Amino acid sequence: MSGRASPTLENSGSTGRTGKGMTVGQLPNSISVQGVSYTIRERVGPWWNFSLYCKKWTRQILKDVSFHIESGQIMGILGNSGSGKTALLDAISGRLGHKDNFFGDVYVNGHQLKREQFRDCFSYMPQTDTLLSFLTVQESLTYTALLTLKMCSSSSIKKKVDAVMTELSLSHIADKIIGSWNVAGISGGERRRVSVAAQLLQDPKIMLLDEPTTGLDCLTANQLVLLLSELAHRDRIVILTIHQPRSELFKLFDKIAIMSFGEMVFCGNPMEMISFFSDCGYSCPEQSNPFDFYVDLTSVDTRSKEHELETYSRVQDFVSAYRNSEIFSKVLAAIEKTKYTKELPPIPFKKKDSPNGFDQILILLRRTTRNLSRDKIGIIMRLLQNLLFGLFIAFFLLRLRSDVAQGAVQDRVGLIYQCVSAPPYTGMLNAVALFPPLRAISDQESKDGLYKKWQMLVAYIIHFLPFSVISVAIFSTFIYWTTGLYPDASRFGIFFAVVLASHMIGELLTLVILGMVQDPNIVQSGIVLLNSAGVIVGTGLVRTIEEMPAPLKLLSFFTFQKYSSEVLVVNEFYGLNFTCGGDNSSTANNPACVFSQGIRFIEENYPRALSWFTADVLILYAFIPVLVIIAILSFKLRENY
Amino acid sequence: MKETTENVSLDDASWRQTKTQDTIFHSEEDNSLYFTYSGKSNVLEVKDLNYQVNTASQIPWYEKLAQMKMPWTWKSDPRSHVTVIQNLNLKVRSGQMLAIIGTTAGGKTSLLDVITCRDHGGKIKSGQVMINNKPSTPQLVRKCIAHVRQDDRLLPHLTVRETLLFIAKLRLPKFFSDSQRKKRVEDVIAELRLRQCANTRVGNECLRGISGGERRRVSIGVQLLWNPGILILDEPTSGLDSFTAHNLVITLSRLARGNRLVLLSLHQPRSDIFQLFDLVLLMSSGLTAYCGTAKDMVQYFTELGYPCPRYSNPADFYVDLTSIDKQTAEKEMESKKRANTLANLFVEKVKHFDDFLWKATEGDNTDNTVIKQRNSEEVINMPHDLNDQLPGALKQFTILLSRQVSNDFRDLSTLLIHGFEALLMSLLIGFLYYGHEKNGLSIRDTTALLYMIGALIPFTIILDVVAKCHSERAMLYHDLEGGMYSVSPYFFAKILGELPEHCIFVVIYGIPIYWLANLVPDPEHFLLNFLLLWLVVYSARAMALWVAALLPTLQLSAFLGNVLFTSFYLSGGFVINLNSLWIVPFWVSKISFLRWNFEGMMQVQFTDTIYEMTDGNITYQIPGKLVTQALDLDSHPLYVSYFVLTGIICSFLLLYYLCLRFIKQKSTQDW
Repeated sequence: MSGRASPTLENSGSTGRTGKGMTVGQLPNSISVQGVSYTIRERVGPWWNFSLYCKKWTRQILKDVSFHIESGQIMGILGNSGSGKTALLDAISGRLGHKDNFFGDVYVNGHQLKREQFRDCFSYMPQTDTLLSFLTVQESLTYTALLTLKMCSSSSIKKKVDAVMTELSLSHIADKIIGSWNVAGISGGERRRVSVAAQLLQDPKIMLLDEPTTGLDCLTANQLVLLLSELAHRDRIVILTIHQPRSELFKLFDKIAIMSFGEMVFCGNPMEMISFFSDCGYSCPEQSNPFDFYVDLTSVDTRSKEHELETYSRVQDFVSAYRNSEIFSKVLAAIEKTKYTKELPPIPFKKKDSPNGFDQILILLRRTTRNLSRDKIGIIMRLLQNLLFGLFIAFFLLRLRSDVAQGAVQDRVGLIYQCVSAPPYTGMLNAVALFPPLRAISDQESKDGLYKKWQMLVAYIIHFLPFSVISVAIFSTFIYWTTGLYPDASRFGIFFAVVLASHMIGELLTLVILGMVQDPNIVQSGIVLLNSAGVIVGTGLVRTIEEMPAPLKLLSFFTFQKYSSEVLVVNEFYGLNFTCGGDNSSTANNPACVFSQGIRFIEENYPRALSWFTADVLILYAFIPVLVIIAILSFKLRENY
Repeated sequence: MKETTENVSLDDASWRQTKTQDTIFHSEEDNSLYFTYSGKSNVLEVKDLNYQVNTASQIPWYEKLAQMKMPWTWKSDPRSHVTVIQNLNLKVRSGQMLAIIGTTAGGKTSLLDVITCRDHGGKIKSGQVMINNKPSTPQLVRKCIAHVRQDDRLLPHLTVRETLLFIAKLRLPKFFSDSQRKKRVEDVIAELRLRQCANTRVGNECLRGISGGERRRVSIGVQLLWNPGILILDEPTSGLDSFTAHNLVITLSRLARGNRLVLLSLHQPRSDIFQLFDLVLLMSSGLTAYCGTAKDMVQYFTELGYPCPRYSNPADFYVDLTSIDKQTAEKEMESKKRANTLANLFVEKVKHFDDFLWKATEGDNTDNTVIKQRNSEEVINMPHDLNDQLPGALKQFTILLSRQVSNDFRDLSTLLIHGFEALLMSLLIGFLYYGHEKNGLSIRDTTALLYMIGALIPFTIILDVVAKCHSERAMLYHDLEGGMYSVSPYFFAKILGELPEHCIFVVIYGIPIYWLANLVPDPEHFLLNFLLLWLVVYSARAMALWVAALLPTLQLSAFLGNVLFTSFYLSGGFVINLNSLWIVPFWVSKISFLRWNFEGMMQVQFTDTIYEMTDGNITYQIPGKLVTQALDLDSHPLYVSYFVLTGIICSFLLLYYLCLRFIKQKSTQDW
């Protein structure tokens, strides 16, 4: 099990800005929660049941909850699902949704925290682990440490990571890959411990954990709680919600709170709990788990109206008994005492000297690259998917002809159309597949105050550049020379540049929308729609731009497809001559023969394109920085919600 | 381990326990009739079972391919064969509730799989499973066993009550009246404490609905509804809070007392739940450490020298005792040895009993759990042969149809998104090719428009349909396996149920475009055009249905759909001239619904019209026929397009039916 004590951690903790609070004789850190209530309003029924849908009811999530806890203690919050456990944690850590329905006060060392101070003070571990799946345990902790601590020396960071790994007994799996649902890796319990370790790197004095044992088997769950209690006893405050704890854990907790229907039925140490309930006339039977027994006792049975009333009134009896008890008055006294202490101890912030923004991006970039570079199949897919598409077109087209009567113009237009519309699509597929997990991690870690969300975005953007270049290079080399587009090296260079730009624009555009919309599937269909609309409006390959209604003509200037297609059309048709059928055919016979010279085709359909050739290329490339900025803005907006 | 040997007589403790428990849990009178089962009593017997699982075969083929393993190397790895059950003997009768406990990887789920004949890649080495002295077969299992699985498969947009009501209609025998069915649904809802959320929709990972625990209870309710003689539950309490879990097990034990055989696997039951069991089978890595009455378990282990410490849950204690601790190699060795010794001891002890149960005293041979035949007079007669009495195919079809329609209709946001998508596309294309200005559309633009009309929308349709089919697949698979309905009613219900949505979609999409682009404005041309559009969109839909039923994962299906669509797209006659196609794409173009749609629309639009084209000062009169000729789209008369499209739809639907029928697609979570 875990190492009993690790002096390194203690020492490094006391060098932080919070160190003063721990010297002997100082007051311990404390959290006081006084009279917290929280309600939400929601609709009674679904929309098709109209009468119920119109009605709204107010649901009391938390009702007048008070408690007090000091450092060195571990508190477990018990209760059935829907009893307000998680809401209570959210209330403490300032993460509740609608502030206006929130009443009551939360004090840390007697101070009320400001909005931005919450994240620097609490370490909050949600139910799900967000870890990068291809990093080893040691790597992921090292990167987190790098993000948290100012570039000290790499040896001191290594020492710190090693200390934390020893403390959570992760050393034996330090070099194992974390894994995910389809990649074999470490077990669920180990994964939880890695999450705890990542939090510990910041030396938090207050740790909140939401259902840390869910999904773990009993043995692992016990070990985890044991570990947390040891952490607490080293001068930290640990509060966790827990679902069906086992009886062995009963004595481990310094405080046990039982929630039922938003009310705190009881909060006190285990011995007090047994005597409290015995005094109420319910003593815990011998061969039974006291946790289970008391939680059952305070549950409301909703199977029928009578039971509901009966059990509810029993809960009310407990609540009033608790409020009249000595335990509760002690709590209130403790709260008052901290509030009115003359010299309030400082707020115990987490240790945080994060490196500057640029370094953070570099670290994130290294982390992202390291993570994705282990995914062999992923890399192969990314490099070859454009080629795959190219093979497909080449299979159908084989080789371009030079006879207009046999569709020389039509085939070229078709090919250009594909080259304009497909690369953004593959870019979108990349972003939709790879970015959402990173986004989830950045959401989580930015809440912990490690870095800002847009920094992760920038790291991702930098990381995909080389992939795009290689992948597009493979694709364009193949398609250009097999189908027989204009055989000239510099024209090939331009072709490559245009396809590369559209591929990257597609990916960036997806990132912009991923910043605003959560569900990747919706993003995907949105981008598909946007892309096809852009192709139709902008390219002029399927609709003569000159004849479009004015507003749409204007709109076409905002599509990147307009520029890419103009460049590609000029690039291909300029100076190209076709034959037309046999010798005796005439324009009257075949209307397409008008275009036996490539230049005619350009003049007819893209009169502007020739003179704008260079400008078009520049505008197309200007889309990239603009989209990067918009993406960063959209992730800055995301920061606030 | 042995220092706390303060042993309490368990009977005493449990007596006190029950007394206190009674004040917390209301033991309801068994007033609801359906808690008794009046069919003939069942016996489940497992003899000398040795069961081996090939772990390699549990990895689906597409993942093996993804890991670059070639098919011929799949079978050869001998390490992948793992024995998960060894020498298991078991006999349970109606009226008993047997709980299988043990840590993960103890063989619990495998045992339930063997009993229900759903052995995925496993092999019975020796021994057999008997139900009523007949070897168990899938047919027999389907007839008399209800199996509640660990994960939930429910339609997300139905409310709890509706979900149960539809099952009641499908699963209960014909002679039940509607009010009886409703009554039973209400009983189940009350019993599983679902009253609060009865009108809330079920939801899933993406859609907010009832909570996870409530969803579990609905799944259990689905099986309780049809009142089977044998009820098997895999981890029914996982994810439930303790109170609900306790109530659920009370319910199960009452079901057992109502002359039913209940078998459940549990990870590690709480002490109060443990008290409710009749029989317990403690498994540890495939070995039997104990099998016998629950209340004698403590005594049995105490005799072996492992008494249960005070204030601790015997189930927890003994499961831990027999579990394999994999933290370090030494601990693993040690715990393995202990588990083996315990298993051998147990085999020794029960050698002499015919039903392989350990009993406290020799004389106490009679079942502790006497089958109490209810003396309630008007027990609803559960038929012995359920299958004959189930609703017929036509009835199944109507029920499935209404279930599907209400599920789809409830999904307002998706419907609105699809409608909005169609309208947006339509308006966009319509305004883009706005044809009411004085020149009208040029030939080139009209051609492009006619192709785009058919080619743009099916792409989104394919993605939507594939995603939807995959989300419904898990439920479909288990409903079919469980014999709730057969393939044909489902097939027709699915197709018919999607028609209204399809029609509305095509109307929203087709009409604005036609009007905005100012195509030939007479009703006949419009109707011909609209019909083509309807057919081409429906072919895309049918193709998507087929692709979704053919391949195992969403990604693969979406990919194949994409590939097929792009092939049809490229060979459609617009992007690449039909003349310049070489032989393979030329044949692809013969079955490309986009090509036939394009050909049809072009002929409808161009055959009778004459276009004027100005080149400098000269104005040509170009008959529309020339345009279709130039694109090589006049090879067949117009009606052929309609026939071919209809043919394509029918063949895709036929393929879909065949795939439903012959390829059992599990959902990814089942592998």
